[in-house]
Amino acid sequence: MEFSRLRKITALAGVASLAIVASGCGGGGGNDEPASADNPVNLTVTTFGQFGYDDLYAEYEQQNPGVTIEANNIDGSANARTDAFTKLAAGSGLSDVVAVEEGWLGSIMEVSDQFVDLNEYGAGDVKDNWVDWKFEQGTDPDGRVIGLGTDIGPQALCFNRELFEAAGLPTDREEVAELFGGDDATWETYFDLGRQYKEATGKAWYDQSAFVWNSMVNQMDEGYYTADGELNVEGNEAMRAQFDLLAAGTADGLSANQKQFDWGKGKAFVDGSFAVHVCPAWMLGTIKEQLESAGGGTETGWDVADVFPGGASNWGGAFLSVPESSEHPAEAAKLATWLTAPEQQVKQSAAANNFPSTLEAQQKIVEDAVPNELFNDAPYGEIFASRAEGVVAQFKGPQDSEIQEDVFAPALKILDNGTGTADEAWEEAISLLNDRVVNN
Amino acid sequence: MESGTHMTTTLNRPAASSPAPMKPALTFRQRLNVLDMKASPYLYIAPFFVLFALVGLFPLGYTFFVSLFDWHLLKGQGDFVGLRNFQEVLQDRFFWNSLFNTLSIFLLSTIPQLIVATAIAALLDQNLRARTFWRMSILLPYIVTPVAVALIFANLFGEQYGLINNILESFGIDRILWTNETLPSHIAIATMVNWRWTGYNALILLAAMQSVPRDIYESAAIDGAGTFRRFFSITLPSIRPTMIFVVITATIGGLQIFTEPRLFDPRTSGGTAAQFQTTVLYLWEMAFDRSNFGKAATIAWLLFLIIVLFGLVNYLISQRIATTGEGRAPGRGAGRRRRKRSTAPAVVLPAAGPQPPAPGSAEPAATPAGTTPRSTR
Repeated sequence: MEFSRLRKITALAGVASLAIVASGCGGGGGNDEPASADNPVNLTVTTFGQFGYDDLYAEYEQQNPGVTIEANNIDGSANARTDAFTKLAAGSGLSDVVAVEEGWLGSIMEVSDQFVDLNEYGAGDVKDNWVDWKFEQGTDPDGRVIGLGTDIGPQALCFNRELFEAAGLPTDREEVAELFGGDDATWETYFDLGRQYKEATGKAWYDQSAFVWNSMVNQMDEGYYTADGELNVEGNEAMRAQFDLLAAGTADGLSANQKQFDWGKGKAFVDGSFAVHVCPAWMLGTIKEQLESAGGGTETGWDVADVFPGGASNWGGAFLSVPESSEHPAEAAKLATWLTAPEQQVKQSAAANNFPSTLEAQQKIVEDAVPNELFNDAPYGEIFASRAEGVVAQFKGPQDSEIQEDVFAPALKILDNGTGTADEAWEEAISLLNDRVVNN
Repeated sequence: MESGTHMTTTLNRPAASSPAPMKPALTFRQRLNVLDMKASPYLYIAPFFVLFALVGLFPLGYTFFVSLFDWHLLKGQGDFVGLRNFQEVLQDRFFWNSLFNTLSIFLLSTIPQLIVATAIAALLDQNLRARTFWRMSILLPYIVTPVAVALIFANLFGEQYGLINNILESFGIDRILWTNETLPSHIAIATMVNWRWTGYNALILLAAMQSVPRDIYESAAIDGAGTFRRFFSITLPSIRPTMIFVVITATIGGLQIFTEPRLFDPRTSGGTAAQFQTTVLYLWEMAFDRSNFGKAATIAWLLFLIIVLFGLVNYLISQRIATTGEGRAPGRGAGRRRRKRSTAPAVVLPAAGPQPPAPGSAEPAATPAGTTPRSTR
C-alpha cells in the first residue's frame, strides 16, 4: 500500500514537472495607468560604464510616489550591446529604460520599430534642449524619436605633467595646448612631439593605436560609412593617409601596446607607460576609475588640455530608449525624459565626469566651473564646452562599432605588436572587412 | 525493496504473470497491477526523454532549420538560402582557425591532464596519512567557478603586468606574449583547464584503482615486480574502462571549451586576431557580435557533427578495448572480479613477472585483463 502510493506520487510529480515545463512561457499584460501610491509601478533601467544615475534614481522615486526603480549597470558598452541585442532577439527581458551607446545606435536604428516613439510622450516639445546633432542622431529615418541623448564625448587631450616635465616639455595646460598647435593642431604635430618625447625619455607616447585611430575616424566628415549608408573604407584615400600617419608613429615606438580598457588594471596610468591620451569627456571618469584601481591619485600628474589634433572630434555618448516590450511605456518615457533634462544632466555630469548633451546643462557647467580635482583642478566644463564647438555628427552605420572593434582594432594590433608593415595591416583590415561585414 | 526489484529486473515478471493461465479472469486490481508493471517503468523514465525531446531534440532540429536561412539576430528570419551558409562557413578562414585552436587546446589540456591525473591517483592509492584530506584537496580547484579561475589566470598570464612575465623578467628572460601569440595563449588556456580538471579526473581514476584487488599486487610483489612494473602491468590495464570514460568526457568538454578563452581576454572573442578563438567562441561571436544567426546555427551543426565523429572514434576504440578486455577482464562487478582473479594467481604471476612474457596470443581466454602488459602487444 505504502509503496504504491509512493509510486503514484512519483508519477504525479513527473507529470507535474512536464506541465511546468510546457507552461513555462506566458506573460501577463501590464497596465499603463500613471503611477501613484495606489498604483505602484516598477521601472527597470539598464545602463553601462560610468553613468552617475544612482542619486537621481532616489530623487525621482521621492518625487514620484509609487515608482520604484530597479537599476542594473553593465560594466562596459560592449557587454551592454550584447545584453541588449540578445534580449531584443529573444523578444523579452529588456528593461523599461535602456541606455544605448552611440557606437551601436546604428544597429538599433535598423530595428527602430521595436522602440517606442518618444514623440508620443512629448519629446518634440523639449527638442531644443539638445545640441541639434544629438537629437537628430536619436531620430530614425521615419522621424520617430527612439533615443534621448544623455551625454556627448567631445575630445580633448589628456597629458601627464610629470612625464612632460621629465621630457623638457611645457606642463601648463594652456602652453601644452599651444604646443600642439592650439586651434590648428594637427596629427602631424602630435606624432612629431611624440618622436621628440620618445627620444628624450625612451618611452611610448600613447597607450595603443586603436583609440588614436578611432579619434581620427570620428572627426572625418564621413567615417566608415558615407552619409548615404554605403561602406566607405576600401579605396578611401583620406582614411588611408591617416592610417599611414598612425602606422609610422607606431613603427617609431610611440605606442605602449596596452590592452584596450584594461591598461594592466590601471597600472599603465601610474607607471608612466605613456604620456598622452585621447580624452572624450567620459574618458575622465574611466581614467579616474583606472587610477583608483591602481592606487594612483593627483600625484600621478594627469591633466587635460583644451586642444585636439585635427580639430573637433566626438567619441561616443549615450541615449536612453524605451523598448516596445515595456509594460509601462508612459512611465518609462517620463523617467527617460526627466533623466535627460538639463537639470539632471548637470548632476549626472558631476557624478560621472561626463559632458551633457543639452545646451542649458553645458552652459550651467561652464558657469559653475567646478574644477576637476584629479586632473589638476582643470576647468572641466569650460574645456569640453570649447571642445564641443564645431563637432559635426557623423553618420554611424549599422556595423560601425564592429568595424572599429573587430576590423581595425585587430589590424592596428599588428602595428602595435610590430609584426607587420602599414601595408600588411591595411590589407588585413580590408580582408577582415570583407569577411566580417561585406560578406557577413 | 519490493519496488526496487520489480522495476529493475524482469525476473519477477514471469512469476507475476504465470498464475494468469490458471485464472482466466483477472480482477480489476490485478489488471491494474499488470498494467502497472508493464507501463510504469516507461512512465518513470519518460520525464527524461520528454525533457530531452523538448530541450535537446527540438533545438537541434530548429537549429538546422535556422541554418538554412539568412537570419539576423535583431531582424529575424530572412531569405531561404539552402546550404549556402554551410558552404560559406566551410570556406571561412576563421572557422578552420577555430577548429585548429580547439584541437590544439584540447590536446594541450587533455594529454598532460590525464597523465598527471593518473600519477596523482596512483600516489593517492598508496597508504597515506590523512588520506581523506589529500583526496579532498585535489578536488578543491573543481569547486572554484571557471569565471574566477579565468580572472585569476588572466592576471597571472598578463603580458605587461602579469606575475609570470614579471618573474621571467627578473631572471632576465624575455617576456612571453601570452595573449598575442598563438601557442603561448593555448598553453595559458590549457593551464586553466588542467588546473580545474586534473583533480576531478584523478579522483575518478582513484576510485577505479581502488577496485583493483590488492592480492594481485601482493602476488606480483612476491614475484619480484617493482612499483612501476606493477603500475604499468596491473593498475593501468585494470582501470581501462574508467580511462575510456574519462577520455570521452574530456573530449566532449574539450571540444566545447568556451568560458576560459572567452574570459582570458574579455574585450575580444578569443584574442585580437582570433589567436585562441575556439569553435564555440566563434559560434558565439557569429551570433551575438556579428548578429548572423544563420551562420551561427550552421557552425553549431558542424560542431555537432564533429563531436559525433569524435564520439564514433571514441566508441570504436573503446569497443576494441572492451572486446579485448572482455576476454581478459571479467565484468565490472568488483566482487565477481575478485573471486575470479583470486582463483587464477598462477596465470597472473608469470605475466607480471620480471621477464617479459612470450609475445603472441597464446594466453588463455580467461586471463584477467590486469595480467597482460600492454607493451607486449
